[in-house]
Amino acid sequence: MAIRDTLLANVTTAISSSSIGVSSELPWASGDVPLYVKNMKKFYLSEESSATTQLFATIDRNDVFQKETAITAFITVDAKNQPSDIETVVNSVITSRLAIADQSVNECAVATETEDDRITYTFEYRFVTITN
Amino acid sequence: MAYIPVNSTAEFVRLEINADGVDYSANVAAAFDGTGSANVLVVPALQDVTVNATPGTFRWKQLDSLSEKVVTIPSTNSVAVTMVLDDTAFFTGAADTPGIFEITNSKTESYFRLYWQGNTTGDKYIEGYGYLEALAPTVNPDAPVWTSPLTIAVTGDYYTGTV
Repeated sequence: MAIRDTLLANVTTAISSSSIGVSSELPWASGDVPLYVKNMKKFYLSEESSATTQLFATIDRNDVFQKETAITAFITVDAKNQPSDIETVVNSVITSRLAIADQSVNECAVATETEDDRITYTFEYRFVTITN
Repeated sequence: MAYIPVNSTAEFVRLEINADGVDYSANVAAAFDGTGSANVLVVPALQDVTVNATPGTFRWKQLDSLSEKVVTIPSTNSVAVTMVLDDTAFFTGAADTPGIFEITNSKTESYFRLYWQGNTTGDKYIEGYGYLEALAPTVNPDAPVWTSPLTIAVTGDYYTGTV
């Protein structure tokens, strides 16, 4: 199962009883307006991007590689009247990083940006695993 | 002149160890080419290799000379490597040669052969025997794969040969 699928399934379960819904669509933009801005109070998860880099070089090319995967999620809500459970939702989304197994790094950084009367939470997930 | 590159498949540095408990001291080559060949463990995933083969020296000064005098003393020979640990090489071994951990743990006299640039006809190697030491496996969250240094403390001289 791809990381995005696992993450999406976990977040869906984690915030199912909250005021924030979950979309399985990618956060594409419609008329220059991202879906997560157009459809507030919905969790959107981007497609994965990954890079495989050399961790250990060996003389006989039995090199050890690591695969780093990054994936971004968005939630936009009303900045004037945020949902009362937004803090719980944010924590649940952050905790969902632990649903991805067999990683040596499971990180999630959160940034907020306020524009007009909207505040957007951007979650940057980062996963690292060993690969051949 | 010709350099000694090791960057292609046929030219990889290759380290072989035989620690089958047989005393081949009089004929190190027999540990690899003869009866001992079935017990040869190839150590994979070497990260770096250092061959120490400098003769020791003793220096002194005397009042009737403007320069130091020097004589040689016995060499301290050793082969030092760093490797990414391979389960088979580290624990299992090959036939009567146990894995590297057990060889070190039981202080078994070991024969080694180091090919400088591959092991096909005409390739050069050095060989000898001694003991494995300086094993220090390490791992951490930022590099979650076991690696370790390993030193072969060589008893006596190196022997050189050609495949």
